[in-house]
Amino acid sequence: MAEQAQQESTSLSAVVADVATGVALALEGECGSYALSGVLAQDDAVALAAIRVLGADVLAPYALHGGAARGGADETVVRKALAAYPPRADASEVSVWTYRGLVEASRAYLPGGPGGWPPEPPAESEWVRTEPWPRLAHRASQLAALSLPGLAPGLAADLAVRTEDLARGFVRAVRRRDWLQAAGLGRWLARLPDVPETLGLDAGLRYVRRMGDSDARVTLQVTAARRFHGRGA
Amino acid sequence: MASQLTAPVGAALAAEVEDLLGSAEPEGIYRDTRECTGILLLAGLLLLSPPTPRPKSVR
Repeated sequence: MAEQAQQESTSLSAVVADVATGVALALEGECGSYALSGVLAQDDAVALAAIRVLGADVLAPYALHGGAARGGADETVVRKALAAYPPRADASEVSVWTYRGLVEASRAYLPGGPGGWPPEPPAESEWVRTEPWPRLAHRASQLAALSLPGLAPGLAADLAVRTEDLARGFVRAVRRRDWLQAAGLGRWLARLPDVPETLGLDAGLRYVRRMGDSDARVTLQVTAARRFHGRGA
Repeated sequence: MASQLTAPVGAALAAEVEDLLGSAEPEGIYRDTRECTGILLLAGLLLLSPPTPRPKSVR
């Protein structure tokens, strides 16, 4: 049983990395027309789990090219991922927010089916105002997929108030060599106005990309920051 | 897609999804420079402060 869980874990991380690579390549415009269902090598529960983990980012290429998915295959897999992995009763706020983000992105970028999309669960955002900056930075980095243009405007507005704390978290993450957190924070900072020039965000993002290029999720975050917001080029 | 997607989800896989979504920060002690400065300043002031006046003993 434990062996099976370990196998699923390894497999899920690998599939998440594969899908993240496919999305990043699509954002770079290197693989022609994008289709999420084409990026998925498998078509099982692990693939659905990978969609749930990456959240709204699996639809990022549609946000960039301004077009909805061609055909209903993408809609089908996203619906199944949402149905298979709803936030549990004891789910973390990050889990609820990422689920919301995927629903919001699906509504925005995928053609709506007759049944519509599931409702967005209420997500609490008091932590943005109350958490100390290291914890705020860590949590914000986990929600980097919501920094896609137009998604989660309320959360973005709340985070904008704490831009300086996010910038502080970015520097801290770089110093700790936590490239995934640094990339997520850099992506949020790329979206937010009034980022201090003294932060050196562009150079920082380039550095994070170079140092964290072995992690496909880091590459995805940094690529999204550059393609959507023109930072880190 | 090669075959029909199936949606049965193992509890282990669902837990793995939650773990990946909300992974904890790596352990470590990371100090805030401003907090450290404040603590050092306070310790310095305490060391340099004059001794607490005590009542003289009457024989």
